[in-house]
Amino acid sequence: MENVIEIRNVTIDYKLKRYDIRAITDVSLDIKRGKITALVGESGSGKTTLSSAILQCISTPGEVTAGSIKFFGKDGSETDVCACNNHQINKFRWEKVSMVFQAAQSALNPVMTVFEQFEETVREHRMGWDKKRIEERTKEVLEDVKLDADRVMKAYPHELSGGMKQRVMIAFALIFEPELIILDEPTTALDVITQDYIFKILQRINREKGISMLLMTHDIGVVAKFADYVGVMYAGRLMEYGDIRTVFKQRRHPYTAGLIGSTPSLIGSLDDMKPIEGNPPDLRDLPKGCVFSPRCPYRTDKCTEKEPEDYIKDGCLLKCTRYGE
Amino acid sequence: MEKENITAKDRIKSVLTKVWKAIVGFLYKYRYFWKKLGIAVLTLAFSTIVIFFIIRLIPGDIVREYALSLASSRNIPYDEAYRLAVSLLNYDPEESIFLQFFRYVGGLFRGELGVSLYNEDITANLLIKQRLPWTLFISSVSLLISFLLGTWLGSLMARKRNGAADTAISSYIVVSGSIPDYLMGLLLVLIFAYTWKIFPSQGNYDAFYSEPGWNFKFFYDVLRHAFLPVAAYVFVQTGTWTLMMRGSSIGVLGEDYISAAKARGLSERTITRKYLKRNAMLPLVTSLAVSFAALFGGSPLMESIFNYPGIGLELSARIGLKDYFVVQGIMFFTSSMVILVNLITDSIYSLIDPRVRKE
Repeated sequence: MENVIEIRNVTIDYKLKRYDIRAITDVSLDIKRGKITALVGESGSGKTTLSSAILQCISTPGEVTAGSIKFFGKDGSETDVCACNNHQINKFRWEKVSMVFQAAQSALNPVMTVFEQFEETVREHRMGWDKKRIEERTKEVLEDVKLDADRVMKAYPHELSGGMKQRVMIAFALIFEPELIILDEPTTALDVITQDYIFKILQRINREKGISMLLMTHDIGVVAKFADYVGVMYAGRLMEYGDIRTVFKQRRHPYTAGLIGSTPSLIGSLDDMKPIEGNPPDLRDLPKGCVFSPRCPYRTDKCTEKEPEDYIKDGCLLKCTRYGE
Repeated sequence: MEKENITAKDRIKSVLTKVWKAIVGFLYKYRYFWKKLGIAVLTLAFSTIVIFFIIRLIPGDIVREYALSLASSRNIPYDEAYRLAVSLLNYDPEESIFLQFFRYVGGLFRGELGVSLYNEDITANLLIKQRLPWTLFISSVSLLISFLLGTWLGSLMARKRNGAADTAISSYIVVSGSIPDYLMGLLLVLIFAYTWKIFPSQGNYDAFYSEPGWNFKFFYDVLRHAFLPVAAYVFVQTGTWTLMMRGSSIGVLGEDYISAAKARGLSERTITRKYLKRNAMLPLVTSLAVSFAALFGGSPLMESIFNYPGIGLELSARIGLKDYFVVQGIMFFTSSMVILVNLITDSIYSLIDPRVRKE
């Protein structure tokens, strides 16, 4: 299958005054064209850092210190994201890859109307569209996310509800019809009904327009329902990656199994819920060997000796000693 | 016949109802403004009363003091000097303070702010007309420059935090913040007017050099005279604006819409101009309005250092002379300007911050 993004051995460090924090360690990941790829993991596992690296907007002082991120366009073009200059990266952002932010509630400039912000972005990208075309396109994408376009365009962000702002951000991400949309917890702070509604819209966009999506979330249920591929992250490492059926059905990696086991189910008894014991490690003081080993029920001596490599099993990546050799 | 009468009556009635509804609608639509206007009028009335009585609290009897000075300067006995003082002064010591107050308020309604005790030709209106433009010229120019400079430096500091520029500007702020403006004025006069003789040290223009009017020579002369006072103001005031803008900008830089704008591929310039500065300036606009309103009082210290004929210098001289009627007139004018400017700022703030707009 064709990849839209290939992340190879990427390491990202936050360079602080007294020490560095390695937020992402040697992660390789393919994002398949036209599919929804999900990244799950606890808070602080590096999901947001990894995804913002694709757009080269990791919050300062973070930077990619090793590896490469390559983008492959529909037209066969190839872009090395890390090697772009300012002008190139600004062009790449939003036209090829756009993003819906975790904090969509505050991602719009409070002193400009929705349309003014759409218009500004189009003009900055020098698309050569006239005002009428921008208006038409804005209307189109706002209607795509089931918003009353005429009203929303003239509104200031504070005049919209949380769910509406979230949909405006999704519409915004669609304006240039990019090849990949990164969705960073797109439904936090929204009620479950709106969440479901928004995911249905996203799924429709994915199917109808063939736009690939990278979805970051804590919600295992959402991943199971909407994603095609899933990556499980822990302490800045990709622990498991593969298509959703294999990963969720087989639960081979102890951490994946733990994550799924700790998700409440509507029909099962709450007693079946098993939380993962312990806490995620401090990134400044990682355990020896496998980073998950202190919390792992299957820990052996081998685990604490050496960090496991990435093993490939039935097309799935597994970072666990149990699946070595 | 009867029927037509009724219809005509009805028509008038319906027209009247419409007019009535329009008036009520108009009042209702701007109800927030009316409320603010009412508060402003009350404040003004209260300040008028306070100003009037506070001036009367200045110790000393004006007629007695004038008589004493007349007695010593003309070498006449005190009783004679007292009678002379009463006849010379435009002030009746027998008139009760309440009568004076009503006469004063009556004058305000006619637009007469007050006549000098010493000279019937000198009125508060005349002094304001002569002096206020100079004060406003100097202080609004320096306020504008220091505001623009301060917001620019402040946002720069916030963007390049902990860089060389940040450190340099910080040290400037510490220095400028610890020097009072009049001392800075004296320093500038010493350096530029006495040692280097580049700029004139005092006055608003040189009557021997140029003639007031719309000509280049006069403008040049006025600007040359304004340079030192403006420089002193700007040097001292810029630091405050810079600090305010820096704090406000750092807050805005942490906002999600800044990183979102970056991810959309907007250029650094656009983000700084439309996202950072515009949002960071909002809280400063209120302070700007307050500072602008305060300009109407002038700055007696600075104006006396540069011997600049502004309203502040005049007011302090008149307070020294106990020229009651002029002082209360000028102070009434100043306070009404402060109130007016605040009212206007309140009303137009919604133009720059849509979040305050009320439906």
